Amino acid sequence: MPRKENERNVDRRTFLKSAGGAAATVAIAGCSGGNDGSTETEATTTAAETTEGGDATTTEESDGESGEFGVGVTLGQMDSGLDPQDNAETPTDIIVSQAYEGLMGRDKEGAIVAKLATEWERVEPGTARFTLRDATFHNGDSLTAEDVRFSIRRIVFDDVDIASPQKNDLGNVSDVVAGDGEVTVNFDGLNPIVFQLFATNGQIMQKSWVEENSRDYINRNVNGTGPFQLTNYESGNEVAFEPYEDYWDDTAAVQELTVNSSSESSTRVNRLLAEESDIVTNVPPQEVSRVQNSDVASIKSVASTRVIFLQMRYDVEPFSNQKFRQAMNYAVDVESIVENVLNGFGKITGQPTLDLFTGYNPDVDPYPYDPDEAERLVEESGFAGAEITLQTPIGRYLKDVEVAQAAANQIDSLSNVSCELQQREFSSLVQDITTGNIEDKPAFNLLGWGNGEFDAAQTIIPLLTTDGALTILKNEEVDGLIQEAQNEPDPDAREQILQEANALLHDVAPWVFMHQQFSVYGVSDSLDWEPRADELIDPYTATQK
Amino acid sequence: MAGTSLWRFVIKRSLQGIGVVWGVITVVFALRFVTPGSPINAVAPLDATQETRQAIAAELGLDQPLYVQYGQYLFDLIRGDMGYSYIKGQAVTTMVFSKLPATVELAVAATVVALVLSIPLGVLSATRRNQPVDYGATLFSLFGISTPNFWLGIMMILVLAVQLNIFNTSGRGVSSVDVAMSLVGPAPFFGTLVGWLSYVTLPAIALGTYFTALITRLTRSGMLEELGKSYVRATRAKGAPETLVRYKHALRNTLIPVITVLGLQLGTLIGGAVITEAVFSWPGLGTLIIQSINLRDWPALQGSLIVIGVGFVLVNIVVDTIYGYLDPRVVYN
Repeated sequence: MPRKENERNVDRRTFLKSAGGAAATVAIAGCSGGNDGSTETEATTTAAETTEGGDATTTEESDGESGEFGVGVTLGQMDSGLDPQDNAETPTDIIVSQAYEGLMGRDKEGAIVAKLATEWERVEPGTARFTLRDATFHNGDSLTAEDVRFSIRRIVFDDVDIASPQKNDLGNVSDVVAGDGEVTVNFDGLNPIVFQLFATNGQIMQKSWVEENSRDYINRNVNGTGPFQLTNYESGNEVAFEPYEDYWDDTAAVQELTVNSSSESSTRVNRLLAEESDIVTNVPPQEVSRVQNSDVASIKSVASTRVIFLQMRYDVEPFSNQKFRQAMNYAVDVESIVENVLNGFGKITGQPTLDLFTGYNPDVDPYPYDPDEAERLVEESGFAGAEITLQTPIGRYLKDVEVAQAAANQIDSLSNVSCELQQREFSSLVQDITTGNIEDKPAFNLLGWGNGEFDAAQTIIPLLTTDGALTILKNEEVDGLIQEAQNEPDPDAREQILQEANALLHDVAPWVFMHQQFSVYGVSDSLDWEPRADELIDPYTATQK
Repeated sequence: MAGTSLWRFVIKRSLQGIGVVWGVITVVFALRFVTPGSPINAVAPLDATQETRQAIAAELGLDQPLYVQYGQYLFDLIRGDMGYSYIKGQAVTTMVFSKLPATVELAVAATVVALVLSIPLGVLSATRRNQPVDYGATLFSLFGISTPNFWLGIMMILVLAVQLNIFNTSGRGVSSVDVAMSLVGPAPFFGTLVGWLSYVTLPAIALGTYFTALITRLTRSGMLEELGKSYVRATRAKGAPETLVRYKHALRNTLIPVITVLGLQLGTLIGGAVITEAVFSWPGLGTLIIQSINLRDWPALQGSLIVIGVGFVLVNIVVDTIYGYLDPRVVYN
């Protein structure tokens, strides 16, 4: 039975939360939090946090006058430590991005916005200059050009503190020079997308704070310049933030931000429906109706920056034949898969680059579903009777196994090709994909690729050029176009070249072009918040309804 | 003399326990090299260059030969250092021991749930054999033993937390230490207690149901066996009240095997809470183990398994020691 609004103040859970929460918080404050397995941070628990203490994730409380409110976010997994420069996955990025910022950032649609740099310019073909704003770290110290220089060098140079997994994310940086309120970055070569790279990557840390503290400490504490500062960190369990009052922009309206996780999608949805959380990620299609039918939450989705595809190695038969690869594209009914397997949470693609990215070619249409044409092309290829196996990771992407199963069935239903499905744990599949040798890669497998830079080259270079780290294609024409694009200083001319490359890749068909994955969130009806294209979550922009 | 035997027994079992833990370490270490996947893939982006991967491998010590890694790990372990998590960059000792209280709390809560329900139920079932209570208890035992705890957990969440809004769906907002602290601190004891119960009850029931069913059956069969023995007939013949016969004589003897199973199951509960913790997002060792396996975070996994192994060994030593106290016929040898 749906709960009525006026019942929420007297139900048992509210009583339990209030009683237990207030008591627990006082108790926790009394014993520094170490007793329940938490790893206390330097921050202290404040009186403001005690209101909801028992249920750390949910914060429906509001005084109604000042608009103060809390937000609980439940992810699929927690962070891999709080060092913003020593991780390479989305959950960690979501958490650390509440407190750390880069020189530039992106809005919800992916457009570049100013963060710690107020201005940026390309002063020479291989040199970019950033003018810094007046900002302070959470410990009260001012941001300096030396901090920015140190941060960039820590990311790109192995001999500066750590071997960062983000090493390649800022381009081929050769040198960083700290000036008076500005930083100049030199690159080996042009780096035509320097500002796209810096808008997505390169979070800034304080040099002295990093140098004075151990790696363990840095992974458990935060000292950024962002809108939220850390109040509590329990490794693998929960991270809590409060607004940073001296933030260079408006102070966050959200008074308490709590991030936790549940690997079980049903548990995440249950938390939302029980009003213990306000935003939950990755709601699977089968849970969507449960959220939509509730009176406390609804579904919000957005086309993400992740493209899903079935890649085919150019050097093994039958995938060495372009007509066979095209046939596979005609054989798979992507539209039906999006509609029936993904409940519409996907968008059909026909090229490696997604709509609205730099280099997307609007004149290229997806392959239509045409099994007759597919059979004809298979015959022409000379590989009629081919037996192929599609490998898919399990649970890595939205309904990946089901999507792969549907695609394999459709290919298998061709009269002249048989296709089997092989499910593989992602870690195992990735092991084969990332060895650097094309011979180790599966001949045919499902993969997803996120491109936070919103630029075609960031997909095509690693996946589809001869020297790409993950490539399954060797095509001189594609290589030539990409090289030309990377040396082209004029953005318009570069975009044209990338569009040409995308049209070519549509015809070369190294992938069965599948779909653009959607990010699907369950969001409390009490919250006014819209999801972002880049899979990050920004409670800073949330308001209370 | 008995005291000396006891200590010799404890020392002998402790040495055996060290052997068991060393075995666990070695097996888990060996698993690194037969399990596909690498922690580097959890640290580095997919398109990281081979140079970046090698730099990360060197930083994590993964570029060293197997025997060097193994020897270094054992050496560090003897010094109490479990190393650093590959993925989180945090000290494993801190990670594991920050999770352990939650798992122990859940295991103990599940055991309490089991004992509170199972022993009275088992006694009732045995003393009212072939009556409705007995049939009900038998049916409950069958249900408890045959129901997967993850299914039970999900159902309880849907009904008792989401629909009826009685308990929290998941998490651990209040700990048992908070409850204890409320006895001496300013926090209201009752409020803290109900807050704690709102989190721990459902996972404790989910985890303890199988155990409840097991102990119920064990108690029932044990009681039936004891009640049929000649010493019980003799006690009755000399006019002792039936309550005394059942609870002082028969039940006490029944509890000896129950305590053995209790000890073994407590260790199993600590290790077996993995699925329950996942369903309830309970921040314990089980959750850490799942994350560590998924990300190939071998130091964190090894640290967790070592702690579980040590716990299992300790619980068994304690149980074996108590066993001799409860049953004077047992000789420490």
